[in-house]
Amino acid sequence: MKQKTLLFGALGMLVVLILFMVKDLFLSSPEPGNNPWKYDLETMKQADTMKPAYTMVKAIPSGLQGLVAIATGPGDRIYTTGAGGAEIYDSACRLLLRFDFEDTAYALTVDSTGNLWMSMGDHVEVWNKTGKKLQTLKSAGRGSLITSLALTGSSLLIADAGLKVVYHYDHMGNMINRIGEKDPVRKVPGFVIPGPWFDLAVSPDGSLWIANPGRHELEQYRFDGQRLLSWGKPGIGIPEFCGCCNPSHFTFLPDGSFVTSEKGIERIKVYNPRGKFSAVVALPGDFDEGTRGLDLATDSRGRILVVDPVRKQIRIFVKRSTTSNN
Amino acid sequence: MPNRREFLTTLFRAAFLTGLGVLGGAMVLRKGKPGECGFGFDCAHCGEADKCVIPHPFESRQMVWQLDPSLCTHCGQCATACVMTPSAVKCVHVYAMCGYCDLCGGYFKPGTKTLDTAAENQLCPTNAIKRKFVEEPFFEYTIDESLCIGCGKCVKGCDAFGNGSLQLQVRHDRCKNCNQCAIARICPSGAYRKVPARHPSLLRGFEQKPKNGDFTQSQENR
Amino acid sequence: MKYKAALLLLLLLFFHGFSVKAIQRFPRPEFETAYSQPETLLPQARAEVMEVVDVVVLALSLSLVSWLVLKKRSRKGVFWMSLFSLAYFGFYREGCVCSIGSIQNIALALFDRNYILPLTAVVFFILPLVFALFFGRTFCAGVCPFGALQDMVSFYPQKTGPKLNGLLGMVPYLYLGFAILYAATGTDFIICRYDPFVGIFRMNASFGMFLFGGLLLITGIFLARPYCRFLCPYGVLLNWASRLSHRHLTITADECIRCRLCEDSCPYDAIDLPLTDKSPETRSSRIRKMAWIVVLIPALTFLGAGTGFLLHTTFAGVNNKVILAKQLATPANQQIKPEPFSVTAFRTSGKSVESVNLEAREVIRRFKTGALALGGFIGLVFGLVIARRMTGRWHDDYLPDKGHCFSCARCIDYCPVKTKLPKNTP
Repeated sequence: MKQKTLLFGALGMLVVLILFMVKDLFLSSPEPGNNPWKYDLETMKQADTMKPAYTMVKAIPSGLQGLVAIATGPGDRIYTTGAGGAEIYDSACRLLLRFDFEDTAYALTVDSTGNLWMSMGDHVEVWNKTGKKLQTLKSAGRGSLITSLALTGSSLLIADAGLKVVYHYDHMGNMINRIGEKDPVRKVPGFVIPGPWFDLAVSPDGSLWIANPGRHELEQYRFDGQRLLSWGKPGIGIPEFCGCCNPSHFTFLPDGSFVTSEKGIERIKVYNPRGKFSAVVALPGDFDEGTRGLDLATDSRGRILVVDPVRKQIRIFVKRSTTSNN
Repeated sequence: MPNRREFLTTLFRAAFLTGLGVLGGAMVLRKGKPGECGFGFDCAHCGEADKCVIPHPFESRQMVWQLDPSLCTHCGQCATACVMTPSAVKCVHVYAMCGYCDLCGGYFKPGTKTLDTAAENQLCPTNAIKRKFVEEPFFEYTIDESLCIGCGKCVKGCDAFGNGSLQLQVRHDRCKNCNQCAIARICPSGAYRKVPARHPSLLRGFEQKPKNGDFTQSQENR
Repeated sequence: MKYKAALLLLLLLFFHGFSVKAIQRFPRPEFETAYSQPETLLPQARAEVMEVVDVVVLALSLSLVSWLVLKKRSRKGVFWMSLFSLAYFGFYREGCVCSIGSIQNIALALFDRNYILPLTAVVFFILPLVFALFFGRTFCAGVCPFGALQDMVSFYPQKTGPKLNGLLGMVPYLYLGFAILYAATGTDFIICRYDPFVGIFRMNASFGMFLFGGLLLITGIFLARPYCRFLCPYGVLLNWASRLSHRHLTITADECIRCRLCEDSCPYDAIDLPLTDKSPETRSSRIRKMAWIVVLIPALTFLGAGTGFLLHTTFAGVNNKVILAKQLATPANQQIKPEPFSVTAFRTSGKSVESVNLEAREVIRRFKTGALALGGFIGLVFGLVIARRMTGRWHDDYLPDKGHCFSCARCIDYCPVKTKLPKNTP
């Protein structure tokens, strides 16, 4: 009798174990994703309660493999480039031309005749608006990664994130001088560029501004390399620049206001020409998590054009009050 | 009668043996698809395409589990799902990718105002990251491997704001190389895969080069 | 050149992860002080040569145990060998170079061309089967750490009887079928997932794992080798091979004297008792039985295949891709909060819902054929088992049941006939 009990006890246990396996395999439902070590980016993002003063009016899906850079040209035409090619749209967002090339363009600016000046990593190439290569400037050197370009009447300004310096070239590609190298005498602190995000822009009044992302600042320089002004401070609050190195991109509105974009907490903001925070353009909710490389451009009507590399779109934001006129 | 039985048994045994032979032969001589070495990029991008061992028969093909940091979503399950406690997955610092930032997203809790080494400012639940001043404005961050539990919190912080130099990796001194990795089974982004034991890591932005014929990790010399 | 390579990598990352995360390798800061950047060092994987050691140990152990069982007829020797195997394959190799699990590697390799199959898996799969074809299940006797561990604890084995043995003995066939189905579809390695003893070998596992293994071991005190007899999928293959074995362990060294001493010696109910009381069958009853079998086996096979086919979506529900597609299809108000990690990962991956659905449909399509085959296989096995029970063969001595005998050599110690008697003695 006792033996029977033992046997059936053991058999029962075995059956229970088998049933447990069957249940676990076939009948377990997905569990909620509770992560005790969650790095809570969401609450930080939700702290941004300020209502954007801008609204998106258009998102143009790009046909490029990867979107990197955007610029506006004569007649408010929209130029965009990235991995494998470039696209030109008219001001009403109709695609005028797409042409292909093998490399990836990392930066773009457009001159007054509509030619595209593109960074192909370590050198700059000039292509015309029909998609023909006109000129290749010589390489900036080993380890160079050019992430921003700007043109003025006689100068080409090149931000090199790889070598952490800005070059001042003439239009033929001859170096005039270097800007922003650490120089205690001229009180130039040097650029701190931990990642491949290094932007510069020339304001409507012709002054040169360079982002110093590691110091969370925008700095103004004379073309001869003399540092003039700077503004910006780190923090996760709306008027500040978040993370280790921001802003990643910036540009100017026609009135001289700054438009900045950040990574980490994805947001686009407007500061007045003196560097005082004035408005929000877009908040993290407008982007997919982890979006980086929100290159910016503006047109003569004050529209803000943003490259969204994750959604592969050119997104156009306008001020809310002007929505109806658009 | 017994003879007929014996004959049949011998016949079946021979058939079974032949079956095993064919199966074994097919498995040994079986070639992988070129470019399917487990690293996920094609042969042209591999420095060793010419001596690739993967598609050839009679090589050991010993594989180990590794996680691809570029697919990681920092869900924290590496810390808990591993059969080992603490997990065989730990954070690795790829110094070559580090920006040496003062305000390190992987070291400080978000929103920290004073950038010092006070425990309450540290993001890591076990304070396993050490911060050391190098020179203005750069700081070096080192991971105390014995304290790391592989939760990936710092990895998320570094990925969100920085260069992503903090990466989770399976540490092969701890990993038991289970036939089916318990973490791989539940990894929500499918970041785990088997890689050749000769190249046991999948660090992002990091080159793996043979050193004197011996396949150790080495940084790319710039 | 190196710079080119770096740029290439950069480009590669750009293309590869463009939509996900455009993170690149980037030059470190230019330090002015004499700071030297530490190297990122990671421990190496286990040396490849150790793989060869595993294979050699396996081959030597198998040979030694076979010799101990068949030539030396020594239970003691088998016991010490199993202790060694428990130490080496169990506690030293921590259970993860394993013949049982290798079924899945082979199955996956057969159906997925991209899967890289380690050679050890091939050897660990084939070698014990080859030995079983010649010498019986000597692998179970003294090489398999699972068997060894359970063998050590079977203190009060109770007889289960042929009916229960037959019924529970079907479980390994199901287990084998499902293990192959899930491995071949790239879903999961369920043998490893429900590996009961690996936690004990590692002495480091979750509470659930310990509980599962511990309970099975406790069961094993009264029900000898419960995993081997009623679960082990590799045991099914060994069973088939062992039935055909060239030389199998014999209880007695010479002719059976029917002393009945060995009758209770086997903890595994693997001794076929003499079937002398069975009256020789009449021709008509044999024909009737044959007819039954001829009808039964195909009928059960079809029935099984049909059932398998009907259940294929249930079986496919284990697959992660199918689970994800199901989750994405649930209406927002019924979704689990906070959302499962897989949904978060999907959202950040930039994949489209359609592509997930497409993948899930492809998986289900594969399960359709897989479940059909699995059901058919189970039906066929049922039929064969019943047929075997219907056709018991007359024999008048004590024989090991070649399929189920683990060659543990316990019975040898009970047999009074120790040596082969010289022939032609009066």
